[in-house]
Amino acid sequence: MGRGKGGRLPRRSGSGDALASGLAVAALALLAGFISLPILSLVIWTVSEDSWRAMASPVARDALLLSIKTTSISMAIIITLGTPAAYVLARADFPGKKIVETLVDIPAVLPPSAAGIALLLTFGRFGLVGQYLSVFGITLSFTTVAVVIAEVFVAGHFYVRQAAVGFAGVRRDVEEAALVDGAGRLSAFTKVTVPLTFPALIAGAMMAWARALGEFGATIVFAGSFRGVTQTVPLAIFAEFQGNIDAAVALSVLVLGFAFVVILAVRYLTKKAVDYEN
Amino acid sequence: MLPGLVSCGGGSTGGGSGGEGGGGTLTVLAGSSLTDAFGELAKTFEEQNPGVEVRQSFESSSTLLAQIQQGAPADVFASASEEEMDTATKDGLVYGEPEVFVKNREVVMVPKDNPAGIEGFRDVAKPGVKLVLAERGVPAADYALEILGKADEEYGAGFEKDVLSNVVSREADVRASVNRVVVGDADATFGYASDFTPDIRDRVDIVPIPPDLNIIATYPVAALKDAKDPELARKWVNLVTGEEGQRVLDKWGFEPAA
Repeated sequence: MGRGKGGRLPRRSGSGDALASGLAVAALALLAGFISLPILSLVIWTVSEDSWRAMASPVARDALLLSIKTTSISMAIIITLGTPAAYVLARADFPGKKIVETLVDIPAVLPPSAAGIALLLTFGRFGLVGQYLSVFGITLSFTTVAVVIAEVFVAGHFYVRQAAVGFAGVRRDVEEAALVDGAGRLSAFTKVTVPLTFPALIAGAMMAWARALGEFGATIVFAGSFRGVTQTVPLAIFAEFQGNIDAAVALSVLVLGFAFVVILAVRYLTKKAVDYEN
Repeated sequence: MLPGLVSCGGGSTGGGSGGEGGGGTLTVLAGSSLTDAFGELAKTFEEQNPGVEVRQSFESSSTLLAQIQQGAPADVFASASEEEMDTATKDGLVYGEPEVFVKNREVVMVPKDNPAGIEGFRDVAKPGVKLVLAERGVPAADYALEILGKADEEYGAGFEKDVLSNVVSREADVRASVNRVVVGDADATFGYASDFTPDIRDRVDIVPIPPDLNIIATYPVAALKDAKDPELARKWVNLVTGEEGQRVLDKWGFEPAA
């Protein structure tokens, strides 16, 4: 998603061009309106029904804390595993690379509910892997671990893809120059490649985080829904919708505000980092 | 499995060309325990009313009520509890009088290999049992809580508390919680006798709830005020309360209303 490159539309005279840019601006306005109206509706309902109090309810608090906790762990896993994996995808050529790339893409296309079923049949008590885990007394279903597994499964792609594109954009001779200067492979990677790719990595991490935060289908199917353990914000919204629509709306507004804060903070930090490098 | 939130938008998207000349569609919203029985009755209805297409949405009665309140385009509401129907009636959403058409009994379901060793109803309170319930507000779960309340009085010693501390997940509707037992991840759940359908009988066993503790669910059905064709909606109500409907419902484990 937009990295705020700035810049303006190339300018050229001619009435056809004016019409075309007019239409393009109208399209953007339409899109912006289409996105802001539902957001506005949420806020209006919250104000008019006075459902603010529901935001401070224990259900909302537990759900938000759980969402923060699980998405943080998921992001730590995704970045730790995804960064080297993306580098290999960007740099190395190996047999079956196309297959691996397709595999990485699948969770982005697979409906999350289908992903949930797949995870259940893998890690559930009688699953392909789960049956061996349960021999050791390990059960994953209905635990917070299951939520993290679901989030990593559906969100990992977004980081790995973006990071791989970023790494591919780093010129090999820059990396090699660092190696010639005596840096080891690892330090060339951490001191040269990663900083040069930083905006792409952050953008990818943000996409993945957003996807993990919104994760619903895979979680409710695989992990179940229980307050404080597996009921993240999206699940809490759905649960509240069954009986208390005010609370469901309030939770939606809460997570909306939370997402806003995170996006703005990340934008700001990325800009700082890029400025600093320049 | 996924929530039918799409349908609660505003009502302008409902297809259907009205019921004139016997054509059109009938949209039935029904508690998820009715999935199989109503699925069969839809075919009967379409045969009896040529040109009519029956569309059904099965979810927890509480979700369906929320959708109807938000203006979902629907013709008939069949609820697994009178509470939801009463609210719909009070909100002026119902056309005519709701009619109770079946009863349903709660049971405890366990996986065939019964990993938690639940032989009787009291075993549900054993520590470490992974118990799954439907979401708060879903009739099947509310009945389960009522049953536990009664059992607490009879068995004492914090029976209800012990059972509730075994709950590991609250599912969207009763069918979802039964499926947790079908795939074997949950040790037990509360469901209706009618949820013990033929296709799960090789994977699931029933543990009966003592009759003096059990609660019998009563299912009301009604045509909705916003029905495109109230007469067609009434026909559905007549089908399920009539002989043919009762025969099909009996086949799927429901008990007659009277």
